[in-house]
Amino acid sequence: MRPPLRGGGGGGRGEGGAWRGRGSDRGRGPGGRRPGGRGPGGRGPGGRGPGGRDPRSKPGGRAKVGLNGGSKVIVEPHRHAGVFIVKGKEEALVTKNLVPGESVYNEKRISVENEDGTKVEYRVWNPFRSKLAAAIFGGIDNNWIKPGAKVLYLGAASGTSVSHVSDIVGPEGCVYAVEFSSRSGRDLVNMASKRTNVVPIIEDARHPSKYRMLVPMVDVIFSDVAQPDQARIMALNASFYLKTGGHFMISIKASCIDSTVAEEAVFANEVKKLQAEGFKPAEQLTLEPFERGHACVVGGYRMPKKQKAT
Amino acid sequence: MLVLFETPGGFALFKVLDEGRLSNVEDLGKEFASPDSARKMVKLKAFDKFDNTSEALEAVAKLLEGAPSKGLRKFLKANCEGETLAVADSKLGNVIKEKLKIDCVHNNAVMELLRGVRSQFTELISGLGDQDLAPMSLGLSHSLARYKLKFSSDKVDTMIIQAIGLLDDLDKELNTYAMRVREWYGWHFPELAKIIQDNILYAKSVKLMGNRINAAKLDFSEILADEVEAELKEAAVISMGTEVSDLDLLHIRELCDQVLSLAEYRAQLYDYLKSRMNTVAPNLTALVGELVGARLISHGGSLLNLAKQPGSTVQILGAEKALFRALKTKHATPKYGLIYHASVVGQAAPKHKGKISRSLAAKAVLAIRCDALGDGEDNTMGIENRAKLEARLRNLEGKDLGRLSGSAKGKPKIEVYDKDKKKGSGGLFTPAKTYNSAADSLLGQTSSKSVAEDSVEPSKKSKKKEKRKNKEVEVEDEPEKEEESKKKKKRKKAETETEAVEVAKEEKKKKKKKRKHEEEETSETPAKKKDKKDKKKKIKD
Repeated sequence: MRPPLRGGGGGGRGEGGAWRGRGSDRGRGPGGRRPGGRGPGGRGPGGRGPGGRDPRSKPGGRAKVGLNGGSKVIVEPHRHAGVFIVKGKEEALVTKNLVPGESVYNEKRISVENEDGTKVEYRVWNPFRSKLAAAIFGGIDNNWIKPGAKVLYLGAASGTSVSHVSDIVGPEGCVYAVEFSSRSGRDLVNMASKRTNVVPIIEDARHPSKYRMLVPMVDVIFSDVAQPDQARIMALNASFYLKTGGHFMISIKASCIDSTVAEEAVFANEVKKLQAEGFKPAEQLTLEPFERGHACVVGGYRMPKKQKAT
Repeated sequence: MLVLFETPGGFALFKVLDEGRLSNVEDLGKEFASPDSARKMVKLKAFDKFDNTSEALEAVAKLLEGAPSKGLRKFLKANCEGETLAVADSKLGNVIKEKLKIDCVHNNAVMELLRGVRSQFTELISGLGDQDLAPMSLGLSHSLARYKLKFSSDKVDTMIIQAIGLLDDLDKELNTYAMRVREWYGWHFPELAKIIQDNILYAKSVKLMGNRINAAKLDFSEILADEVEAELKEAAVISMGTEVSDLDLLHIRELCDQVLSLAEYRAQLYDYLKSRMNTVAPNLTALVGELVGARLISHGGSLLNLAKQPGSTVQILGAEKALFRALKTKHATPKYGLIYHASVVGQAAPKHKGKISRSLAAKAVLAIRCDALGDGEDNTMGIENRAKLEARLRNLEGKDLGRLSGSAKGKPKIEVYDKDKKKGSGGLFTPAKTYNSAADSLLGQTSSKSVAEDSVEPSKKSKKKEKRKNKEVEVEDEPEKEEESKKKKKRKKAETETEAVEVAKEEKKKKKKKRKHEEEETSETPAKKKDKKDKKKKIKD
């Protein structure tokens, strides 16, 4: 199933610099076009989107590098549901934008027109900024974050990765984003006000009982907290909220757990700790070349044993 | 045993039907695998719904502190007679035990039980479906997040941006309507347009008057000044405008009403904007004023966005067209944008406006960041910075008027210490004190000079204060008197003058305590002795 191949570059930020004053925005979208941000005369029509709808000709006809405005691109679905790959001069991982027309953290957006004329917008997912994107790029076997899933996201920060997860799970799914810091929490709440499938929780993930009235049982827990006791945090949250047979993904930063020991040893230790808590790690991969000293472990929780009789 | 389960919709109490199974903790999960087996384990006993989001927020906020809210207490009291209560939080359990005398229990079995209930609770609670729960949970989480982040709705800058936009719109509309009134009424009474220049007064007069014939009878004293009123009455008589019917006058009057009500609303809006600015950005308001501050925020998009800009950007915010044109053609860039209308820049002389605008922009970004990201509610920082700016302005202006005391440029050069130096004071920093023979009392001196000095003395004495020193500069043609002044703080070199001139020149130099004069003294009058008495004197040879 290929989305129709009428690519149009819609890059950049959409609204031009002439529009100002959109109140208490997230502040990332339209408001950023200020003098000095672009060169002379650059404040004109910022979005080349409307102009770039050329009918598709030979692929790669333009001599432009990268995903610039107006270049022709193809969008293909990824092996994992909800994720897409955009191919032009360069490849990028994208997700379908739940809120078309808005960038969460000034990332590039790509508008593609379907055969029947409807426009679909995708947002580029940067693997250098998001551990989940790095893991997908790295090639994990199973991505349990799929459309319609309920995800508990620990360590949501300002919500940049959470927005992509929200794109993937779509309107039927739900993302419960937990973040303790107030600064990032404010950005998270602003982002969540635009996306109704994100529930922001400004609490310490070490005390899952504090948000027990907000979170039901979830299908997947994604954890990116970068704390020395992250295995315990994960286990505690899973005992509260992860359904039996649910899955988890955890991003382990070796230098955060123990900077003196070798990376592999740290990862192995963490995996052992997880196993002791009832998790069944299924795969582990390092996030090179996007992050150094990081690994991502994916697995199941309280998986029912196949051979046990009822 | 009862289980307390909190949902975004309210509190639920479940009764455990089969307590025996609780002992087998691992298999407890299996009991809740399907809705039917779950129903065999627990049954919904009571449900206390939250009436609205604010009640839910309050209840949950108290729960997070570990205290049961009033609603919860009532609920538990009503339903928990003689049973033990399983809770998710042991602290909460302790408080409930204390306050309500209900035994609470919290252990692994309880956790598993809660887990099970949570996985099936949409089935167990018949009135609450998944669809209802999602928006409730969303609403509750947002309220809770706002409560945690201390979101205060009157610190939202959207109001400012909308208000300033509306203010500009209103001004334009007001002007358009006022012009229309003038033009329309001018058909009937053209002279009035030149007599009354102000739009609001014009509208009021027209409203009062209607037909110009009535002008002679009516009293315009509340609206207009006396001369203007007289002029108006005079012009009304000899006006060359045409007659208009009452229906037309009615419409003109309606338009005047509109103008007046718009003007009144504009005044109200301005007050509103001022009060909002003081709440949202008190430091910025103290520094540049409400209007300029509001325009800056509106130009930046939001207060947070503005806070991310550097000082140089804030300085030329609003002059982008000139900026980019200058950058393209490699000319000088503009020195000020919206900041130009701030009162501090307005007070400065034209050649200092650029400097002050730069300083103001630098302080303004600090104030903006303080307001956007800081926790303070007051405007002390803005006021301090404003004082600094005004001092700087005075400094700049003062530079033109001459050297200030304390300026380093006036100080004499400090010489390197050299013990073998013969010239001047030799190796000494301060020249050695020698006996000043001029201070001798010389009897019998009757030169005219001394008479003149005597007469001058009393008046001089009267002016003497401790910080001031009057000196006469009298010079003799003695080569030894020609010395340069040695280094001391804030001194001026005195000129040596010829004796012929000296009588005429009785310079009285008023000095502040830091300044000193040195000059030569003659060996003359005893009167000079008095001059020597002050703190920072030094003697010249």
